[in-house]
Amino acid sequence: MSERRIGVYICHCGGNISDYVDVKQVLEGIRKEPCVAIARTAVFTCSDATQQDIIKDIKEQNLDGLVVASCSPKLHLHTFRSVAERAGMNPYKYVHVNIREQCSWVHRDDKPSASRKAIRLVRGGIAKAGLMDPLQSFRIETIPKVLVIGAGIAGLRASLALADLGIGVYLIEKKQEPGGWVADMKSTFPNHRSGAGLIKGLVERVHAHEGITFFSGAELVEKSGSVGAFKALIRSGDEEPFSVDVGAMIVATGFDTYAVKEGEYGYGMEGVVTLPEFKAWIDTQPAGELVYNGRPIKTMAYVYCVGSRQAAQPDLEKPNKYCSRFCCSAAMHGAICASTLQPRVRQYHLFRDVRTYGKYETLYEDASRLGSVFLKFDGSAPPVVESNGNGLTVTVKDMLSAGEELEIDVDMVVLVTGMVARENKALNDVLKLPIGQDGFFNEIHPKLRPVETVIDGVFIAGTSQGPKTSSESVAAALSAVSKCAALLMKGYVELEPLVAQVNSDRCTGCAVCIESCPYSAINMIACDTGEVAYVNTSLCKGGGACVPVCPENAIDVLGYTDDQIESMIDAMAAEPLAEGAAT
Amino acid sequence: MDYDVLIIGAGIAGMEAALSLGNMGFKVLLVEKEASIGGKMILLSKVFPTLDCASCISTPKMADVAHHPNVTLQVYSEVEGVDPLADGSFRAKVVKKPTYVNADLCTGCGLCETACTVAVADEFNAGLVARRAAHIPFPQAIPKKAVIDRRGFSPCHHSCPAGVRAHGYISLVRSGRYEEAFNLHMEDAPLVGSLARACYAPCEEECTRGSVDGTIPIRGIKRFMSDYYYERHPEPEYGVPEKKNGRKVAVIGAGPAGLTAAYQLARKGYTVKIFEEAPEAGGMLRIGIPSYRLPKDVVDRDIANVTALGVEIETRHEISSIEPLKEQGYDAVFLAAGAVEARTMGVEGEDLEGVMDCMEFLREVNIGRAPDLEGKTVMVVGGGNSAIDPARVAIRLGAEKVLIQYRRSRAEMPAHSWEIEGAEEEGVELQLLRVPVRFIGKDGKLEAAECISMKLGEPDESGRRSPVPQKGSEEIVPVDLVVLAIGLKPSTSPFAHELETNKNGTLKVNSHTLETSDPRVFAGGDVVTGPSMIAQAIGQGNRAAHHIDMYLRGEDLSLSRFDLPIPTVEKKDVLMRAKSISFRKPTDKKELEPSERCRSFSEIEQPFTKEEIRYGAGRCLDCAVCSECEACIRACPVEDCIRFDMLPERREVTVGSVIVATGYDLFNVEKKPQYGSGRLKNVITGMQMDRLLAPTRPFNTVLRPSDGKEPDNIAYVLCTGSRDQTADNTLCSRVCCMYSIKQAQLIMGALPLADITIYYIDIRAFGKGYDEFYEQAKAMGVYFVKGKVAKVEEAEDGNMTVFYEDMANSGGLKTATHDLVVLSVGLLPNREALGLFPDQMLKADDFHYVAEVEEDIDPGRTSIAGVFVAGTASGARDIPDSILHAGAAAAQAAAYIENLGVRS
Repeated sequence: MSERRIGVYICHCGGNISDYVDVKQVLEGIRKEPCVAIARTAVFTCSDATQQDIIKDIKEQNLDGLVVASCSPKLHLHTFRSVAERAGMNPYKYVHVNIREQCSWVHRDDKPSASRKAIRLVRGGIAKAGLMDPLQSFRIETIPKVLVIGAGIAGLRASLALADLGIGVYLIEKKQEPGGWVADMKSTFPNHRSGAGLIKGLVERVHAHEGITFFSGAELVEKSGSVGAFKALIRSGDEEPFSVDVGAMIVATGFDTYAVKEGEYGYGMEGVVTLPEFKAWIDTQPAGELVYNGRPIKTMAYVYCVGSRQAAQPDLEKPNKYCSRFCCSAAMHGAICASTLQPRVRQYHLFRDVRTYGKYETLYEDASRLGSVFLKFDGSAPPVVESNGNGLTVTVKDMLSAGEELEIDVDMVVLVTGMVARENKALNDVLKLPIGQDGFFNEIHPKLRPVETVIDGVFIAGTSQGPKTSSESVAAALSAVSKCAALLMKGYVELEPLVAQVNSDRCTGCAVCIESCPYSAINMIACDTGEVAYVNTSLCKGGGACVPVCPENAIDVLGYTDDQIESMIDAMAAEPLAEGAAT
Repeated sequence: MDYDVLIIGAGIAGMEAALSLGNMGFKVLLVEKEASIGGKMILLSKVFPTLDCASCISTPKMADVAHHPNVTLQVYSEVEGVDPLADGSFRAKVVKKPTYVNADLCTGCGLCETACTVAVADEFNAGLVARRAAHIPFPQAIPKKAVIDRRGFSPCHHSCPAGVRAHGYISLVRSGRYEEAFNLHMEDAPLVGSLARACYAPCEEECTRGSVDGTIPIRGIKRFMSDYYYERHPEPEYGVPEKKNGRKVAVIGAGPAGLTAAYQLARKGYTVKIFEEAPEAGGMLRIGIPSYRLPKDVVDRDIANVTALGVEIETRHEISSIEPLKEQGYDAVFLAAGAVEARTMGVEGEDLEGVMDCMEFLREVNIGRAPDLEGKTVMVVGGGNSAIDPARVAIRLGAEKVLIQYRRSRAEMPAHSWEIEGAEEEGVELQLLRVPVRFIGKDGKLEAAECISMKLGEPDESGRRSPVPQKGSEEIVPVDLVVLAIGLKPSTSPFAHELETNKNGTLKVNSHTLETSDPRVFAGGDVVTGPSMIAQAIGQGNRAAHHIDMYLRGEDLSLSRFDLPIPTVEKKDVLMRAKSISFRKPTDKKELEPSERCRSFSEIEQPFTKEEIRYGAGRCLDCAVCSECEACIRACPVEDCIRFDMLPERREVTVGSVIVATGYDLFNVEKKPQYGSGRLKNVITGMQMDRLLAPTRPFNTVLRPSDGKEPDNIAYVLCTGSRDQTADNTLCSRVCCMYSIKQAQLIMGALPLADITIYYIDIRAFGKGYDEFYEQAKAMGVYFVKGKVAKVEEAEDGNMTVFYEDMANSGGLKTATHDLVVLSVGLLPNREALGLFPDQMLKADDFHYVAEVEEDIDPGRTSIAGVFVAGTASGARDIPDSILHAGAAAAQAAAYIENLGVRS
């Protein structure tokens, strides 16, 4: 048994834990565990005041192990490692026990059991803390350059912002021309600015900035290295791929528009158009009579939520359950453009909820004021678009007129289509970024780390993360720039030392582990007795896939060694539960 | 440059920007006006759509901000103004408001909070519960330091010439802490019993409650606590201070000023001796005030508070020169001889036996040499309180007829109206516009007075209309005793050769320090002010003691902190804060019946009972919030940590760039009276519901305010104050749909049987995962009703009737009954930000948010180069969007600073 002096802190998390787990009982249940020098509870262990208390305890009580039983380590592992560090303790002697997500929240129906489970979990943490070795993080010099993938409005603006901070930029765009969706727009909302004009200004500045190198028709084909020092292989056109060294990447690959199926809301019939088709048409119409394919357009209907807010249906393989956010405002803006060009045009908006949020409400007001009429349909009874020989008839059950079924003859139907995640398998295979249920890239946490991904050093910006308006995309891009700058302007990053370690005395050189590693972090090196496995620590993520496949038990992941895990299991399973614990 | 960036506001946007810039290596000054960082996000229960605990995701950012080596945090501070400089940088004025707690010493233990005697609505809990004036904002506060919510001086304290902290002892009495209340008074003045009976109580005239339904009985409260204390402590509990400093001070005059100065100096370790000309100490308290108002045993007990400290009082010792005192080894002298020399009328017969001045008359009575007035006629001349007193005394001595002659009309009488009325009730006859012009006697003894009537003429220098004698109205009336009460003169004549005097005979002093022309001599009380009230004299005694101490310590008196520039709270602010004050009848004064009181010198005023006093003190509105009762100081385990002499600290800083992250205001539901908030108890706001659901919730369940019942049928009124022209806000607030849906889901967890109905115009679930969250709520059984609510009215049993248009179904106006209504209030611009820069340089948009001049490609850029806006200061945003926006502002601020080329 070790001679450690461990401090244990059990958190109420306000009531998140203590409403279901008897925190006092947990304290009593672990107080007499071996090596526990001090054990306390706290209402919010993460609060600054409690952090200060812990630091004081560590110093005064001479602690050399620390356990906090609180929430998920995703939230506060780093918080408490930093507490240990500030108190002069090696941060890797800290063990985090999750008694919230893994205990109180999942056992609300059985409080006594939740308390007993919490005791066992904390005991496991204490046992592990008794065996934690001090570890040193690796420091990597960062390369003050960023690869920006996608030269839409987000990628362009991000590149400029990075270059303004003295960070070198490689900007690659799959298409021949930069600018993305916005480049084609004559008028954008809410400021009625020319999209083409905005993009033109940005592109000129990008070309003029010596810190930015732009590659058109270019794609990322391979990525190696890790945060701070990536090597990116880029193929531009038919040329031989070349590699660039960058410290970080911003993925700004944008969106695709929902592809309406033939026949969906009459799509395919003359006069039935998608939102981008409508936008392209209205942007080019002169003032006066509106004409589409040679036919005058006097009456129009907008059908909202096409391809968005879809319910699960048998014929839909993967419904787009999400709201596409921008389309209500975009349709309103289009209607305002139409009314401005031709004040007599009659426009019917068939909506589910008008989501012109925030200041975009003024678009809704303006459209109404200019004569647009609004009809609300229920998601379960969508409008039907049919040809009436002469033009189109839209049939809708309008909830605002007590569910009356209305037939509207129109010249054009605009299917207000939403955004969908861009199909980009090749890039996804390279980046290995997690993808959410909606198909867009997933951030680590929408509030704590909204532009960061689980791949350190790879950031997401703009609509690649989810539907956004153009200025929101730019805000996200600039936010990603802030994160890149924070990472690169320091000059180095510190990597967690929780990596695999090979006991070369035991290793027989069978190489089974090499196959198991998804990060290609293991290779074989020569030694006196032949070949043994070697772990490249800057590539290793500490995933541990190599550990169980090793027939000789020659690999351990630091911070999760077999000894540590086994000690946890023993401690958790030990009987009886300490005195005072409910049985 | 002092800092690279100034960030104003440490809500989620400000913190995010600070961390981003700090991580980039820029030096950041983050200024927050509240006592803790965290903004409004830390107040929330959970956040949509992930249902993360708001505290749990705020606290790591808060802690990072607090510990970041590049971020300097300044809380409880406001930016008063920012001026752009020619080189592209800025100069900002930052003022740190006094917390009255030394943050370096405070351990956040919370003992002050427990001890505090004042409760106010707790902003952190959206006013659902109370907090103390001394408080730590919330459990996760950063910094976790106590703050004392002290808005200035309460009017009762400010109006007290003695500087007695009336609000302080009121709040202690309210808490039943009578001895502490008495002891607090003893810090300010030792003559508690005398003040409790004979003070004119200017505090009661200034009491804010006086303008509502009647003043707090402040003097009555003091009377109660002093009686309570003296009954239990016939002698002072303390003795001579152990630490004496070896210095000696002489005090001339044992009146209220001299006694007070001696007391305060003795407490500081001085050896003090008082020289008093009269046979007994007390000055006016002893001789000037009739014992039916101030019994002399009370004066004795008050003086014991002074002598217990070892102060020696030598009576019958007249001092007529300062010089010998210096020779006797006194290091300083306090001259407080009072004003007992009577003015004379200068008319014939004033020297007759039977013509007395009021002081002489009262002194004789008070020392037991009362003249026999049985069956006699007494005339008192004068219109002040000093005329009323001898008249009422004469009644008690059995005079058959007592009249007061005053040369002006009743309106001009300086005496308090209640004094005049009291005298009249007892049978004193008031002869107005009438005055004696000659006293007629025989053998040197008074027999009659010749009186004349007056008429009011033009106003004189004092603004009062001067009386003009009416020829022909002369009349001779027989009278046995005349008491002249036409004014007193300061008793300074013996010292006129040593000290400079003013024309009116008062001593010339520095009015702040009370230094005379001789540096070792200080003077105060009536010798300086002329005849005044007791409290004024006590105030002078305190002032003198403070500065004599400074002088003897060799300190520079011009640096005196005796008069701190602390403002007095405005009554209108107090009334606005209190919002509605329900009528609570003031406690009636209790006095003996006139018939009863004429017969003896027993005290007219009767004491209040404990119940009456607790009720009376309970009516206090806590004008300045902190009552200055000092319970916190006594409870604080760290010496000198809490200090009431802190002042705002201003400093100027130069910065390279500015980020405005001043957040939003919540819509004030009072602007939507048809929804009944404030009027109907069971109508609450979304923020209040968030607090009811939070991990740090005030109650352990969701309950409705009227009866504490757990609601089982809750309505949400969306778009309260949003998308509503009648509420002066046509914008959508972006977050209300989602927070209402979030709350609905949380309520279903807390109260599984509750029905929840959300009345909406459109459900705006537009963000990532939001619509899925909405669908989830529907699947959980939340009812969504398309229809704007018109009004909310009270139904039976505290339930609420909601009137709404049922748009989605058959249409028409419908009603529904719920037992709790939650108003989903919207967000409004915080217009404070716009005033930060000179000349309206910082442009607002049409909705009074900070304008983003290049929103499309430079979100967060404002009309001033180098100034950026982050988060809801430029428009309603949810948390993820605020964070992204803050990141954008940070990136642009960083570029601006890089471009400036100057770094801190």
